[in-house]
Amino acid sequence: MNKTLLGYVPDASFIYLVHPTIKVLFLLVVSLFPMFISAVEWNVGLMVGLMALTVASRVNMRTLKIYIPVAVSMGMIILLSYTVLGGRHPDYQVITRIFGFPLYWERIRDALVVYFRILPMILTMVFFLSTTREREIIAALRAVRTPFVVTYVLAMSMRAAGMVMEDFRIVRQAEQARGFDSKNKPLPYKIRKYVMYMVPLFALSLRRSEEFTNALVARGYSFRSKVKRPDYILSRYRFAWWDGALGVVIAALFALLLVARYRFGRFTVEDSVLLRYLHTILIPGGGA
Amino acid sequence: MANNGNGRSVWKVEEGERRSVGVIHIVITALLIGVGFVVGAFGSISFPLGFGVNFFWTGIVVQQVGPIWFGAWGVIAGTIFPFFSNAIAGTPFYVSLAYIPANFVQALLPAWAFKKFNCDPRMKSGKDYGVLLLAMVVSSAFGALYSPLVVLRGFGLLTTESLPLFIWGWFGGNVVAGLVFNFILLKALSGVVIKTPAFVKRWWS
Amino acid sequence: MSSPAIQVTDYSWKYLHSTTRAIKNIELIVQPGECLGLIGSNGSGKTTLCNSIDGLIPGQYHGIKEGRVEVFGTEVEEYRRGELQRTVGLVFSDPEAQFTAMTVEDELVFGMENLGLSISEINRRLEWVCDLADLSPLLDKPPYEISGGQKQRVALAAMLAMQPRVLILDEPTAMLDPVSRERVFAVLARLRKEREITMILIEHSLEHIIPLADRMVLLSNGRKLHEAPTRTFFSDLSLLRQEGIHLPGAVGFSGYLRESGATTDEPAISVEEAAQQARNLRGAAKGELS
Repeated sequence: MNKTLLGYVPDASFIYLVHPTIKVLFLLVVSLFPMFISAVEWNVGLMVGLMALTVASRVNMRTLKIYIPVAVSMGMIILLSYTVLGGRHPDYQVITRIFGFPLYWERIRDALVVYFRILPMILTMVFFLSTTREREIIAALRAVRTPFVVTYVLAMSMRAAGMVMEDFRIVRQAEQARGFDSKNKPLPYKIRKYVMYMVPLFALSLRRSEEFTNALVARGYSFRSKVKRPDYILSRYRFAWWDGALGVVIAALFALLLVARYRFGRFTVEDSVLLRYLHTILIPGGGA
Repeated sequence: MANNGNGRSVWKVEEGERRSVGVIHIVITALLIGVGFVVGAFGSISFPLGFGVNFFWTGIVVQQVGPIWFGAWGVIAGTIFPFFSNAIAGTPFYVSLAYIPANFVQALLPAWAFKKFNCDPRMKSGKDYGVLLLAMVVSSAFGALYSPLVVLRGFGLLTTESLPLFIWGWFGGNVVAGLVFNFILLKALSGVVIKTPAFVKRWWS
Repeated sequence: MSSPAIQVTDYSWKYLHSTTRAIKNIELIVQPGECLGLIGSNGSGKTTLCNSIDGLIPGQYHGIKEGRVEVFGTEVEEYRRGELQRTVGLVFSDPEAQFTAMTVEDELVFGMENLGLSISEINRRLEWVCDLADLSPLLDKPPYEISGGQKQRVALAAMLAMQPRVLILDEPTAMLDPVSRERVFAVLARLRKEREITMILIEHSLEHIIPLADRMVLLSNGRKLHEAPTRTFFSDLSLLRQEGIHLPGAVGFSGYLRESGATTDEPAISVEEAAQQARNLRGAAKGELS
């Protein structure tokens, strides 16, 4: 098992055959896809594809549970934003009225478009986080000649985040050992408790900064050094022919998407079979 | 007057005092990003309003106290870490990226105000509290207006009618969390931080 | 004649916000290839002295320095940025605090990259330290997810991979269980056998330091109280007891025999030597009786 940013993936996963640079390219480009797609079914298709990739990469799907409340809460917020908080529009088509408040077809349609745009964007991020190791991000950045100090700060930040979580656990256990527990307690109590965590967490980090610095200096690190650093990490990752092919496929798909959208007017709301079908159900006999 | 106990400002570089950028500043930046990542993600997951906007954003403490102590290094960290904490909390990549200007201003303004008005991070006078409060309010107001208006509308995620909810959500989420944490943290730890080589008197050292 | 590996001359150091000096007028010479054991209670100035030799003081700390600290004939402050650390390697007591990479392999490689070594040389040294410290199975693991003993072996190996001429170990086994401690000292013993390396070893467990050290120094309250070749160092145990130094059983037993006048032999510094002294005494007693 290898630890990724968001869980563990077995050694045998095909995902390790992909060069880190291609993974980052995937994140950057595929995250853009939904922004050019309004037709809901295409974004649903993208989600299915992403989920399939996640499963095929042998990601432990249980680690992704934390995103269910996020997705639900975002859905609720978008729905509220486009319905209750959506204002009154006499020119829109009313589906029904709830407590006298009109529910417009255009608003529901827009909410669906926005929601199914957001979900694949989140899924792309989740796929990236669950299949990428911290080390691969560094390798990808170094591969594109990012200055060492930048990649190193990033690497240390990721390391620091792990340490802070560990410190957080220790501080919490110490508090609980002294009979301090916030389970089933009201929110103000939890916030007060959080204040009590924050001061020791910061104090620990400050102490760590000194230890970290000493460790770096003791191993000859100086960000003003003129020594040319060999990129050892890159020697551990080979750019294979399939990486090149994947890069081309990702770029070509994006180019195709843009052409289809802006040259041929595809992937638009009007182009959506699902939305047209929904419209016929919700507004029987109504024009689109 | 912010003084170091000898009637001198904590921000004033003494005659003959050697101050330079060191490895410790790089380390502090990384640690602040790390702390901010965890603390910010906690806020984003625990009190979400949506798209990285929260009712109670705990990350504000790292974003605003860090730059007061560590100058530009804190500003860099305060600008960068929300990108990561939002990402892990389920905010799309490009939305997180677009928040950067708001986070930059929120990180910069309190630190700038403390230096400009010669306030003491150990919070020794009413002026220190007043300036911090004002800086928190103004910087959060900028973030609250910029992000929902420019970012969320730009991405087409919100209706115009729902903007006030997000504007007040962002503003309140930052200011309330800042009120709870910033003062306590500055009061509790500034005395120690000032004595460390990581403390930044000017902007970089 | 070549210059000593380390020469400390009338050296004092006071941290900026402290009222007293952490190190007071220390004089110390360590010859190339020598192993020096540095002992003393907490706060005696051991770590400050080591940090001074590695250039962390005054480089990373604010304070007042008096006197000179030279490494191979050059004052530490006169070395260029990062240069001194090619010569002096420092291993800290808390291995976790010195990890800055995300895999053991990257951790081991980091220092070598700073030296600007070629990839082939890095691979060669990596193989060597992995063999020396038995780390090959751990290369792909995050350094903070391995056991305490493994962590310290990684920290030690990371420093050894840089092949410094001077190696300083600041309580390298303070956080380890007895088995892990044995393994770390086994690595150090093998290192001393295979390479001529100058070593300064700070350690509370004297039974581990004694077999390695050529000479011992006792620090107390920032001052050097006692210095002698290892065996001679234990001739007078009263000072060590007074300073709260916990003596190994063999040394204490031998000291007791000497203090009680039962033997005039040299101090025993190992269990085997103490046992031999006991056998000698029994033999002498039998001889007297017969």
